[in-house]
Amino acid sequence: MDVALDSLKFIDLTTANVIFLFIVGFIGGLVSGFIGSGGAFVLTPGMMSLGVPGTVAVASNMCHKFPKALVGALKRFRYGQVDIKLGLVTAASAGVGVQVGIKLQNMILDAWGQAGSNLYVSVSFVAVLITVGGYVFYDAVKSSRSGAVKDKTPALALKLQKINLWPMIYFKTANVRISLWFTVPVGFATGMLAATIAVGGFIGVPGMIYVMGVGGLVASASELVIAFAMGLAGTVNWAMHGMVDIRLTLIILGGSLLGVQLGAIGTTLVREVMIKIVMGSIMLIVAVSRALAMPKYLAQLGLMDIDPSYVSIMDKTSFIIMCAALLLGAVIILGAMFKARRAMARQAAQEAYSQA
Amino acid sequence: MAHELTKKQALVRMIGFGIASAAVYGTVFQHANAFTEMCSRGGFYAAMPIAAVFLVSYVHGGFASNLWTALGINAKTQTKTVQATQTKRPEVRATLNA
Repeated sequence: MDVALDSLKFIDLTTANVIFLFIVGFIGGLVSGFIGSGGAFVLTPGMMSLGVPGTVAVASNMCHKFPKALVGALKRFRYGQVDIKLGLVTAASAGVGVQVGIKLQNMILDAWGQAGSNLYVSVSFVAVLITVGGYVFYDAVKSSRSGAVKDKTPALALKLQKINLWPMIYFKTANVRISLWFTVPVGFATGMLAATIAVGGFIGVPGMIYVMGVGGLVASASELVIAFAMGLAGTVNWAMHGMVDIRLTLIILGGSLLGVQLGAIGTTLVREVMIKIVMGSIMLIVAVSRALAMPKYLAQLGLMDIDPSYVSIMDKTSFIIMCAALLLGAVIILGAMFKARRAMARQAAQEAYSQA
Repeated sequence: MAHELTKKQALVRMIGFGIASAAVYGTVFQHANAFTEMCSRGGFYAAMPIAAVFLVSYVHGGFASNLWTALGINAKTQTKTVQATQTKRPEVRATLNA
């Protein structure tokens, strides 16, 4: 017996839709497996562009995010990159950040309506991504030029690690001893950002690197633990309200499980600085994309006068740039992996030749 | 620590997990509407989508992992420098020549 679905909540799946979701899932998974987050910022608007209602898009995206993060975290745990304690401690304060972020969103929604809320999201996107992404990219370029295989511990993190404020925690895999109080702002900001722009890792990973002094590899791998914990809690909430479209979730998951494992393998092949390069590049391009979406919300609030035809063009350009950011991240990762594998093959051939 | 799989072992596992994954996806999409409707009832039915993604993570995740290994795309393993184990010298003891 066939059951008819609520057409207001669930879209009709076409072959083109399935292929689009699978490919975006794969690329999002690849980037997540490599930098610990990403993909969600394209998947939610991507699903909405197919006609999926906003809440169903967010819920279905979150339902695919936590199993993807789990598989990625397990894979990277086998490579000795995950600090479970670091992930769980940060996830605890991230949970509080999510709740505060949702409360703040609701307050803005009540005060200024949907356009005000959208503007707040876009301003947060642009401000955080330009500041943090800009610094990550600058640091990545600096590290890349220095040619060092391992990054130096940032000065701020070194200072904070020296402050013996009870309770001190030692994170074994990260090899960092720091006060619990300095992990709280990182986790809290991660949760706030996750509740606002759905990608907490854009602040979580740089926070762990620059505030706590964790290496890029361990930070991006431990971020997957945070993503799993927050994603599972969020999914339970959305699923209790019946908002998950399991068809969309499973199609995206089909692609992302392939991608996340490839991204995890990639982290063992390339230099640690590549994580910062990919993260910084994606953050800066996404910032441009969100800046293009701002005039529409300013016009809706009556703060700016703009021709509606321009708004439509800027909307489309914004989405294309967002997809380009994800694609560029994937190209950098695959390119770096290809180069590393070729160098390894060349070295193996040379060794075999010299032994013969 | 888990041992490294050979390409042939990975291929066999990939086929096994691939069949399981295809069976799960086939069953779900055969009854896509009924399953989607059940998953969206809310309340205790929330366990259904969560159980489904865990199952898919296991079977499809297993397929994906073995696929990359079968294709020869493996992680670079850390080469550990083998250090000679320091053998303890026997202690010098005074013995009596009886």
